[in-house]
Amino acid sequence: MALISFENFSFCYSATAVPALQNLDLQIERKETVVVSGLSGSGKSTLCLAAADLLGSFPAAAATGRLHRQSDPSGGGPRTAIVMQNFYAQISYLRTTVFEEVAFGCENLGMEREEIIRRAGEAMTATRISHLADRNPLELSGGEKQKVVLASALAQRPEILILDEPLSQLDPESVHYLSEVLAHLRGKMSIIIAENDPYLTLSVADRIIILADGTKIADGKLEEILSEEAETHIDLPAWTKCVQRARRHGIIRDSTVKESYILNYKQALETLMSLK
Amino acid sequence: MRIEFQQVTHSFGSTNALESISCRLASGRTTLLVGHNGSGKSTFLKLMNGILKPSSGRIWLGEVMTSEYRLSQIASMCALSFQNPDDQIFASNVEKEIRFGISNTGRDGSLFLPLVETLHLKDALSQNPFEMNYAMRRLVSIAGTAAMNTPIIAFDEPTAGLSMREKNYFGQLVSLLKELGKTIVIVTHDLDFMLQWADDLLMLSRGQIQYCGSRDAFFGSARARPVIRNCGLRIPNYLRLSRALGTAQPCFSASELVDGLIGKKGEPAPP
Ligand SMILES: Nc1ncnc2c1ncn2[C@@H]1O[C@H](COP(=O)(O)OP(=O)(O)OP(=O)(O)O)[C@@H](O)[C@H]1O
Ligand SMILES: [Mg+2]
Repeated sequence: MALISFENFSFCYSATAVPALQNLDLQIERKETVVVSGLSGSGKSTLCLAAADLLGSFPAAAATGRLHRQSDPSGGGPRTAIVMQNFYAQISYLRTTVFEEVAFGCENLGMEREEIIRRAGEAMTATRISHLADRNPLELSGGEKQKVVLASALAQRPEILILDEPLSQLDPESVHYLSEVLAHLRGKMSIIIAENDPYLTLSVADRIIILADGTKIADGKLEEILSEEAETHIDLPAWTKCVQRARRHGIIRDSTVKESYILNYKQALETLMSLK
Repeated sequence: MRIEFQQVTHSFGSTNALESISCRLASGRTTLLVGHNGSGKSTFLKLMNGILKPSSGRIWLGEVMTSEYRLSQIASMCALSFQNPDDQIFASNVEKEIRFGISNTGRDGSLFLPLVETLHLKDALSQNPFEMNYAMRRLVSIAGTAAMNTPIIAFDEPTAGLSMREKNYFGQLVSLLKELGKTIVIVTHDLDFMLQWADDLLMLSRGQIQYCGSRDAFFGSARARPVIRNCGLRIPNYLRLSRALGTAQPCFSASELVDGLIGKKGEPAPP
């Protein structure tokens, strides 16, 4: 059975009239990496909160259907860590150094102190904040804070890692580095990432899901689900957009190129080269 | 309105966020302020708009030295949209939030309607910003800032967390503000999207300026590569493509690149 499954699941926050998720059917398998994309307001963050079993703390006007999270033999739900879109709110205010803040997430998991120290160190390296270890987590730049919250989720080595736009405040070098870190984690745990960055999708996703107005409109590998309709909901790599634009100019003659999206940089470059 | 920093240093306790930086941003230009996380970008904007006072050095807005003016006087010259919109938004509905800036700076409200149009906020005016999604809150904070109609307008990572649709709204807003002759400073990590609007670049690394000057001169120079590296950036994708294709001009968007390629062949553009 899937690790997380949504069956005809709908959820409406009490403050709003429109449901945030509508009749969602979605299975996420153990150790699968799924990227959730879609325009702002399409339900990505609500899906993340639901997958983390956190929707219970929001006043709901209506919640219908079923959401099932496979429990482990000990009876508890799967161990989950989340980086929320509003990660600022996740800093604990209980720890005075970045190192202790990162370690804090592990403390509730009943680990040996030595193990905690090792994991916090590794997570800080993975997020490139080792140089901030002794700084106060409340006195950092926006991107530095996002990295601290990311590190503390990574240090927990959860069964399900849920990341809601985890790279939004990071500089391009850090985005590149973190993409590689996530690519390494792929296959080691279930990872759900709400993200519109096409480069991240290409480098880590087993599958991409597109949401529109709370409904799933596509589910599969990026190259399989692309269509003119999908294109209005997600972003594409720069080179793919260039080929698409040339296509709209009606000047691409090669019929295979005409029909499919070119996600590969080299292939896109060759196609553009042939236009010169 | 021009902006000038003269040997400005800012420290938070023992952390030096900016170290003796000097630069001039000319009036009416759009500058992208870029650099790695923690390089001092937000600090720069907060100094410029008077929320922070420099530990040492001088900051000029037009003919005014900021240290001699009160915060409210600086606010009528320079508006800032914060990195975290939740630090900025406080009103109970969108219209009040946007209009607050106008009344606060005592400037005319002529930008209200064009802004609401450009950012597609018309249907949201009576909504409570705190019940809106993140991207909408971001747009509201951007609108509230631009509505102040100050000569200098600064945005701290305005497109972070926005989807393509809202990013394009923001792009249109920048075009509008440029037409009005505003001096615009935008902190961003999203070079692929933002470079097409930039006249100039101000590049920071570890609290020091690596480059300050025209965008085109920068990408044409041999220094570009090492500076990009130092600043935690990567070569912008459209530039990388336009170099690989050997276009006559460096390109910063899909339309510049493809329409340029095709222009050579004299074929018509699509509708
Ligand atoms: N309130 C604060 N107290 C102490 N140090 C701070 C504070 N805010 C920022 N800093 C430090 O000042 C330096 C510059 O921070 P700043 O916020 O200007 O960076 P930034 O370039 O905007 O980064 P980001 O891309 O992450 O937003 C960093 O080293 C940061 O840790
Ligand atoms: Mg910042």
